[in-house]
Formats: sequence, C-alpha cells, structure tokens
Amino acid sequence: MAQPRFRAEDASHLVIKPLDDLSLIYHRRSGTTHVVASPVPEMLGVMGGDPLGVEEILERLSQRFELGNETESLIPVVAARLEELAALGLVERL
Amino acid sequence: MNDREDHSQPDEAQAAESLAVPSRRQMLMMGAVATSAVVSIRPALAQSAASVMNCEIPVPDMGRAGQYIAADGRLVPPDTPGAFPAGRVFKGEDVKAAIKGRSLPGTSYEQSQAYMNYIRRLQAGNSGFTCYASLQMPR
Repeated sequence: MAQPRFRAEDASHLVIKPLDDLSLIYHRRSGTTHVVASPVPEMLGVMGGDPLGVEEILERLSQRFELGNETESLIPVVAARLEELAALGLVERL
Repeated sequence: MNDREDHSQPDEAQAAESLAVPSRRQMLMMGAVATSAVVSIRPALAQSAASVMNCEIPVPDMGRAGQYIAADGRLVPPDTPGAFPAGRVFKGEDVKAAIKGRSLPGTSYEQSQAYMNYIRRLQAGNSGFTCYASLQMPR
C-alpha cells in the first residue's frame, strides 16, 4: 500500500507568531487561530510546500533538530500530529 | 541517603559533561503520540440558529460576477471547458445539508461539487465567508 503523503498549507495563508513554548497560527482562510506546541510549528516549517510522507518529514526534522537516538519510535508521533493537522486543514492529505 | 553499590551505575560525571557541551542543533521535544499539540480558537460569531440557517452564500462573491466555477472551485473565465456557470445564491441550511452529502438545490452532482469547492475556499472578506464559517460552529 502506498504511503500517505501530506502537504502543508501555503505559507501565504498563515500568520505565525512564536511565543515562548507555544506558537499562534492564524489561518486566514478559516479565520481560526490555532495555539500549537512543538513539534507542530517545526513540522510545518520543514515541510515547506512539498508533498512528503511521514518518514520524510521525520528525516527533515532530524536534520534540522536534535531528536535523540530513538527516531524510529517517533514515526507514530509525527503520524499522529499529521492526522491532527489534516483534520484542522493546516495540512492536506494527498 | 542511599548507599548504592551499583557498579554498573552510569558515570554521572560523564553524563553531566555531555549535558554541558552544547549540541550543534537545538533539541526538539516531540511529545507523545496521544498528546494533542493544537488548541483551535474559532472566530467568535454570535448568531442564533435561525439566522445561520437563513444566511446566504453567493456563488460567486458579488465582486466576481461573470466568472465561471471550475470543478475544483476556482474562478475561471466563462469559456473554460468543464466549468459551470455561476450566479446562484445558496442558503446556509442548503450548504449545511451539502456538507453532509446532499447536492445543492437545483444542481447536478458535479455542479454541486464545484460550488462546494468554491465555498470551501472562501476567505475572510468574501461575501458568504461569515455564513459558511458559522455553519461549522458546534451546536
């Protein structure tokens, strides 16, 4: 079965304001403000506008950030966050 | 104070030293699978149930009359193949039913899909955006 891929909402549709441990993301198209915690803003940042699978996103995160040794165990974490973001319209499931 | 005779105890001095050495990259807290990382605040729209059902969504926005609606909801010139003529106004209750799967009144299946895709793309400032956003409020 082909792996699902995801694409982040276009950056021009979002206004992102980092606070301390949280970020605010105002989604222009829905008028909704999302209060998000790591790793969500970092995931959206590394995704850019590219269509990516879960493992590709994790790979990009590990290149930019220190994730610790057990990156394999983080695959379900990234997958769960993507499902959450897809339900909110911040990423598109392709 | 515990008197530990654990010879396999990790060398605490070494561990402390590795923490003191700055890593090249920032540590990213990934959280747990089951821990949601988003709280969403919807626009505050105070409308009664009756007024939401009667609010209207023009397809297309009044400022864009004369354009056609493509299957994916984008506005296109009238001679675009496969695009549908526009100029309809839909009530909130009809769009709410369409969200649940019914076709918009007076439209074919494909036409309804195109109009719904247009409606889903509405942004703040377009006519009908507030009406559409209100339909998604939990009741």
